[in-house]
Amino acid sequence: MAPRIQSRSVSNTLLPYLTSTSSSSSTTSVPSLFSTPSQCLSRQFSATAAPQTKLRRQMFEWLSTEGAALKHHIPGETNYLTRLKQRGGSDGPDSRRPFPNNQNFISEPILSEELRNEVYNRVVTKGQSVRVVSVDLGIDMQRIAAVVRLVELEQRQRKQGKPLALPYARAIHEMVPTTPLAEQGERQQFHEPINDLPAHPLTGTQIFYPVPESRSFTRVEAGRVFSAAPAMEHSEAGAISHPSDLAEKIIENPNATGWVGKGDNRRQILQPADVRIPHPHLVSLERDRITNPKERLAVADAHAKRLERQDAAEKRRRERAAARREQMQTIVSPEESRFDYRIKDTVYTAETTGKDGRAPWAIGRRYGVPHRDRTRGEVKIPTRVDA
Amino acid sequence: MRNRASNTLSKGKIRQSWSKYNLYNLQRFRSPPTTNRTFFQQKWSAKAVSRAYHGEQVREGQWKRMFNHRIRSVIPMNASDLAADDGSLASAGRGSGLETKDGDATYQNRRIPYTHMAFAPLERRLDVAIFRALFASSARQARQFVIHGAVTVNGQKMRHPSYLLNPGDLFQVEPDRVMFATGTPKDKAERREGRLAQRKPEGEEESKEAEEEKVEEESKETPKEDTKETLKALMQQAKSIMSSGKDTLPAKRKQELRGFQKAVRRVLSRSASSTVLTDSLEAQFSELTLLLNAKRAEKKPEKKDEKKDKRRSDDDAVASKGDEDVEVSSKLSEAFEQAAQGNDVDASELDDEEFDTLKRALVQMRDNPIDNTKPYATPWRPRDYMSAFTFIPRYLEVNQNICAAVYLRHPVARPGSAEVPTPFGESVATPAYGWYLRRRW
Repeated sequence: MAPRIQSRSVSNTLLPYLTSTSSSSSTTSVPSLFSTPSQCLSRQFSATAAPQTKLRRQMFEWLSTEGAALKHHIPGETNYLTRLKQRGGSDGPDSRRPFPNNQNFISEPILSEELRNEVYNRVVTKGQSVRVVSVDLGIDMQRIAAVVRLVELEQRQRKQGKPLALPYARAIHEMVPTTPLAEQGERQQFHEPINDLPAHPLTGTQIFYPVPESRSFTRVEAGRVFSAAPAMEHSEAGAISHPSDLAEKIIENPNATGWVGKGDNRRQILQPADVRIPHPHLVSLERDRITNPKERLAVADAHAKRLERQDAAEKRRRERAAARREQMQTIVSPEESRFDYRIKDTVYTAETTGKDGRAPWAIGRRYGVPHRDRTRGEVKIPTRVDA
Repeated sequence: MRNRASNTLSKGKIRQSWSKYNLYNLQRFRSPPTTNRTFFQQKWSAKAVSRAYHGEQVREGQWKRMFNHRIRSVIPMNASDLAADDGSLASAGRGSGLETKDGDATYQNRRIPYTHMAFAPLERRLDVAIFRALFASSARQARQFVIHGAVTVNGQKMRHPSYLLNPGDLFQVEPDRVMFATGTPKDKAERREGRLAQRKPEGEEESKEAEEEKVEEESKETPKEDTKETLKALMQQAKSIMSSGKDTLPAKRKQELRGFQKAVRRVLSRSASSTVLTDSLEAQFSELTLLLNAKRAEKKPEKKDEKKDKRRSDDDAVASKGDEDVEVSSKLSEAFEQAAQGNDVDASELDDEEFDTLKRALVQMRDNPIDNTKPYATPWRPRDYMSAFTFIPRYLEVNQNICAAVYLRHPVARPGSAEVPTPFGESVATPAYGWYLRRRW
């Protein structure tokens, strides 16, 4: 952009005569620094201060010299400020950092259009499970669910003829690093780590827990120590050959983790990493591979069976939960009515209605308690939007 | 709320914005000095600097209530490591694993940058998430989009910029707003044309009709002209559109595009069904591709020129990549000219690459048309200095075609990287985190 042009024109012809002493100094010193000769001529008799500050001048100078490299994007490459600062070797991990001062933030690749469509095809057309697709392509399961949702939405909008932002999408995919879909016969590049273990707040504490050196202290026992649960019985501990044995049991029955504490302090015992990662079956597969290194087919077969078993267990559990929910409430949908009525039995306890039975969150109208949206300081911004 | 988020050069604050002023400020930013300053002063200035970037639209008290000293982090686990060891190796000896002879640790010890995540709760806000998904050029603009009702969350209109997204929420912005926010602004002439187009829709139609009549007249004047000639001309124009680089002025480029559009019209008017002209661009495109396919079916399997370079410019943007590509495209066009000059060349003998180029030009014309009624410069181009700010954090999954994104999960820190985009280094992040911790110590 050109430097700012002075908008006010000097109409008073007397002005240069009146303020000749002060203006002469400013005209000689300031414009010579920054502006073209034509501009100097245009404000020869001006008494107003120069519209161009030193900082603005420096900025436009930088934008026209060094900063000019950032003006347009380079297709297929990132074009961040860090590249300018480095001078020289632009390739490498540093070209992925948008902020020169922050070493810990990198611009992560996004899914390319083809990979996105491939995910959709596998899940919707081929009917593969999200878990399998996630392991095959190295994409997080939540992301796969989101991709399916978004592609479906896109298809619907295309069908409806709604406007799309195609040139914008193309430009963004040129600017940001992307994970491409592998060619036929090539190995797919993994998009992101899929087995992330969330750090549990209980593990933040430092605990001094003396253990005899002769005893093997495993992840299962460490989890019990962190959640202040008593040590396991010897028979119980002996039954666990590896922490990943617990995973299958807990997928079958999530309440099998065991509980500690009473009342409000009641909490689940912290489980080992093998159970808490998103893909616990991968650990079992690796263990099978270690124990039977030569029987590839048998290992793969056992793995497929295990996955099937776990999927079935999960499905059963979901169905059970749905049935229980259905049992709890009756849905009445009268004919010629726009509404369904969901009728539940009221549970009259201290948790549901408060100690005096008039808690603000209790169901129904209570004498002397104003309606919730009339109370002072109530935030009416929704906290959730149901899909 | 008054907008205090100006990009002043004198203060040099970094904002959530793509403006060039902000880019310059980002470039010259130095972390506040720590020598001869008390801890209080260090924390104060770190807080001031980082709050100017993170949620300056949020009141301080509001932010203090959102702040949480506990920071989400994640450790990527390797399944084979877990399978090989049940944990007893890590706790062997005196409790921290047996020492290896070569002295390197069994587990990688990259530090988790916890304090870079101090402002993670703000990334949940709808306006910030829209900015992070690259749907707006600043957090303030994103906020305006929300307030003006251009944003839906899970299909419902949401007018609260402070809505905190839950994992799995899908938000969508109107594509036109996104194109406006991220595209080059109109220049004076384009603005004027847009105004005129909006003011007199009837006049516009008349002029269109007149143009069409003119086209028809032209076609009447030269009824015996071969379709092959026009197709050739069409090809030529498509070629020039696809090959024009970054250096060409937008105005020039626009002229070329207009010419191409006219040529397409002429071809279509010669074809049997003249109703296509009045239809949408979509119909025109399908008709033209049909026409081309018919020509291709007639074509004999005869390979004409071997010398042609195999490489082709994928797009106009790619073509502008460097001098090599420009040379290639110029070679291509030269070869094409030679082919066009020879009288014996039939239009149906166009080879695969040329058809491809023509098709791509058509697709571009359809996807990115000239339309002065739009609030951005057409054909759409990314705004200047945009690429310096484009990155999409991992906690969002974005579909740019429909301008929708899903908030997958809350941002997390992992060994060596933090997911909250912040322009500040350790020397600012840690004291700022410390400032908000102060009542908890």
